Amino acid sequence: MAARADDGVFDPQGVEWTRVSPRLATVRRIGSALGHLVLLVPAVVLALVLDRWWVLLLWLPVGGLLVLRQVLIGRQVAAIGYAEREDDLLVREGLLFRTLVVVPYGRMQYVDVSAGPVDRRFGIATVQLHTASAGTDATIPGLPPADAERLRDRLASRGEARLAGL
Amino acid sequence: MSDRPGEPAGPAGARGEGARADELPDEVAAAAGQGVPDPEPAPEADGTWKRMHPVTPLVRGWAVLAVLLFFVVQQRGESFFSGGGPDAGDTGDQPFARIQLLVSLGLLGVGVLAVAAWAYLSWRATRYRVGEEAVELRSGVLFRQHRRVRLDRLQAVDVVQPLVARLTGLSELKLEVAGGAGSDVSLAYLRSSEAQRLRRTLLARAAGVGVDEAGEAPEAPEREVLQVPVDRLVLSMARSVWPVVGAVVVVALVVVVVVTGEPGIGLALVPGVFGVAAGVWGAFARGFGFRIAASPDGLRLRHGLTETRAQTVPPGRVQAVRLQQPLLWRGPDWWSMEMDVAGYAGGASDDAGKETVLLPVGTRAEAVEVLSLLLPDPGCEDPAGVLGAGLTGTGREHGWVDAPRSARWLDPVAWRRNGYRVTRTALLARRGRLVRQLDVVPHERTQSLALEQGPLQRRLGLATVVAHTTPGPVSPRADHLAAADAAGLLAEQARRARAARRSAGPELWMTTLAEQAREARDGAPAATGTPAAVGAPGAPGEPVRADAGAPGEPVRADAGAPGQDAPSSPVSPSEPSWREDAP
Repeated sequence: MAARADDGVFDPQGVEWTRVSPRLATVRRIGSALGHLVLLVPAVVLALVLDRWWVLLLWLPVGGLLVLRQVLIGRQVAAIGYAEREDDLLVREGLLFRTLVVVPYGRMQYVDVSAGPVDRRFGIATVQLHTASAGTDATIPGLPPADAERLRDRLASRGEARLAGL
Repeated sequence: MSDRPGEPAGPAGARGEGARADELPDEVAAAAGQGVPDPEPAPEADGTWKRMHPVTPLVRGWAVLAVLLFFVVQQRGESFFSGGGPDAGDTGDQPFARIQLLVSLGLLGVGVLAVAAWAYLSWRATRYRVGEEAVELRSGVLFRQHRRVRLDRLQAVDVVQPLVARLTGLSELKLEVAGGAGSDVSLAYLRSSEAQRLRRTLLARAAGVGVDEAGEAPEAPEREVLQVPVDRLVLSMARSVWPVVGAVVVVALVVVVVVTGEPGIGLALVPGVFGVAAGVWGAFARGFGFRIAASPDGLRLRHGLTETRAQTVPPGRVQAVRLQQPLLWRGPDWWSMEMDVAGYAGGASDDAGKETVLLPVGTRAEAVEVLSLLLPDPGCEDPAGVLGAGLTGTGREHGWVDAPRSARWLDPVAWRRNGYRVTRTALLARRGRLVRQLDVVPHERTQSLALEQGPLQRRLGLATVVAHTTPGPVSPRADHLAAADAAGLLAEQARRARAARRSAGPELWMTTLAEQAREARDGAPAATGTPAAVGAPGAPGEPVRADAGAPGEPVRADAGAPGQDAPSSPVSPSEPSWREDAP
C-alpha cells in the first residue's frame, strides 16, 4: 500500500508515459553479459596455470551478479519512460535509484541522437537533451531510429517556439 | 655532456618551424580572407580590424624569458663549477668546456630568437574587430581561428590585469559567453584606457543602448555598495579551516619528529606546507580590496592584490546565488556569497574560483544588500523573516517546508535545516547545520528539475529535488523532503519557471532601463545611482505578471512594455525587500 502511494511521486497526474523499446533490454543484457564474461578469462587462465579447477569458483559471485543483472535489466528498461507535455518533457528511469527529470522545451540547447554498433543492429537509438546546465540528465535510450528522429525534430521545433534566453 | 648529440635538433627544428611559419600566414590569410577586406589596422574607429598592444608578447612571454634566463644562469653556474672545480685539474678538459659553453649559449640564442619570432607572428596574426552586434577575434599562426561573439549573448565582461600587465599599464578584456570551456573571447593585452572604453561600449551595445558616432558610450553611473576591509578578510581566514589544518599539521609534525627522533621526516611534509601556504595566499590575494558597486549595466566586482580583476555582470546574468556561513563565522555573523554565471565556470582552470566569488566575507546586512541587488523583488510577505529562516532557521516558520522526522536517519546532523521555500520570484533552498548554506535561484533561471529517490529514501517516504542551473559553484537541491512535498515542489516549480520565463526581461536589458533613464532625466534626475539602477526590469526580480511581455519570445525591444507600466515598482519603498529595515 505504501509503495502504491509512493509511486505517485514519480507518476504526476495526467501524464501518459511512453515506454521505450524492449529491444533495449536485449542490448543491455548483451553488454552486461560481455562485461561479466570477460572476468571469466583471468579465472580460466589462473585455473590452467595453477592446475586447480576450483579456482573457477572464484568467478561464481560474478556469475551470480550476472544472473541478477540479467533479471533486473528487463525491469529497469520497463521503468524507463518519457512524456511530452505541453511545455516540458518528462523523463523517468530507475528502479532502485529513481529519477524524474523535467526539461522545459524553451531551455533546450541541443538534442543528440546517437546509436552504437550493437544499438544499430537491434534497431534502437538514444535521444539526449542538453540544456545550459551540465546537471541535466535527460536521456531517452532505446527508441526505434525513426521514432528517435521524429522526437528530435518535434523537440527542436517546440524548443524554437518556446525559446528563452539563459 | 651526454645530451649534447641530442641538443642541436631542438633549436634547428624550432628555427625551421619559425621559417615555415613566416611564409604560412600570408597564404593562409589569403585563403581564409575571402570576403574580408584586408585587415590593415586603421586607428580609432570601431568596425575595423585592430591589433593588440605591441608589448603583448612581452607581457605574455615574460615567464618564458625568465625560464630561459634561468637556464643561462644555471649553465654559466655549472660551467663555473666545471671550470673552477677540483676536477678541472685536467687541462685537456678546458677547451672542451669552453666549446660546450659556446654551443649551449648559441643554441639558447637561437631558442630565444625562435620564441621571439613566434611571439611576433602570433601577435601579428591576432586581430579583433568590434562591430555593432558582435566582436570578432582572429588568432593563430598555423591554425587560424576566427571567433565571433554576439553581444546580446554576452554574459559578463571582465578587465583582468596580471601583475606584469599592471606594471606596463595594460589590461586584458575578457568577454564571457555561455558555451563551456574556452568559449570566452580574450582581448589581451590592450592599453588600460582602451580596455575601459571598449568595456563601456560593449556593455552599452549589449544592453541595446545606442552609442554615438565615435563609438563612445558614457560611463554608467555607479554606486559603491560595499568594501571588504582587509582586517575582516584576514580575520575571516583566521576563522576558517586553514588555521585548524595548519595547527594539526604542525602538531602532527612535532609529535612524529619527537617520537621517531628523526627530523628528516619533517622534510617530507614541506611540500604540503607550501601547498597550504599557497592556498592561503591565493585566497587572500583574491579577496584583497574586494569592492562591489551597482550600476545600470550590472554588478561591478573589483578585487585582487597582485592580479586585479574588475568584473561586470549585467542584470539577469547571475543564474544562482549561494550564501554560506562556516561554523566559526557565527560569532560576527559573517557570510560569503558565490554565484553561477553562465560564462564563468567554463573558463580556464587557473581562473577557477576567482570569478565566481560574489562576496568573500561580509556582514549579514551586506550579504542581504547584495542579494537584494540581484533579486530586488523577494516575491513574498515578510521577506526579511523568510530570509532569516533560510539563513539560520529550522522548521516550518515563514512558509518554509522542512524535511520530515524520518530524514534524521539519512542526515542525522542537518536534517532539521534541510528545506525549501518558493516565493513568487525565486526558489530558496537551505541546508547545513555546521556550515549553513542558502541557495537562491530565480525561477526564470532554472534550466531543468529532477526528482531523485534512492531505496532508503523510498523506504522512509522521502525524495530529493534538484534544480539544475548553469555550471558553477551553486547547485541548489533540497534533500530528503517528504515525498509528497517533493512532488509538489517539482510540479509547482515547473509551473513557476514557465510563467517566469514568459515574463522575463528582454535580452537587451537596457531597452527598458533606457526608458527609465530618459524619464528620470526629464523628470527627477535623482534616480540614477540609487539602488533602483541595478535592480530594474531586466533583473531576475521582475515580478511575475501574467500580462507582461509577449508570451512567446520576450527578446525584442518592444518588451520594454513591462518596464513602462511600472517603471519604479520593483524598487519603490512600498515594495517588500529582503532588508530588515523594509516595511
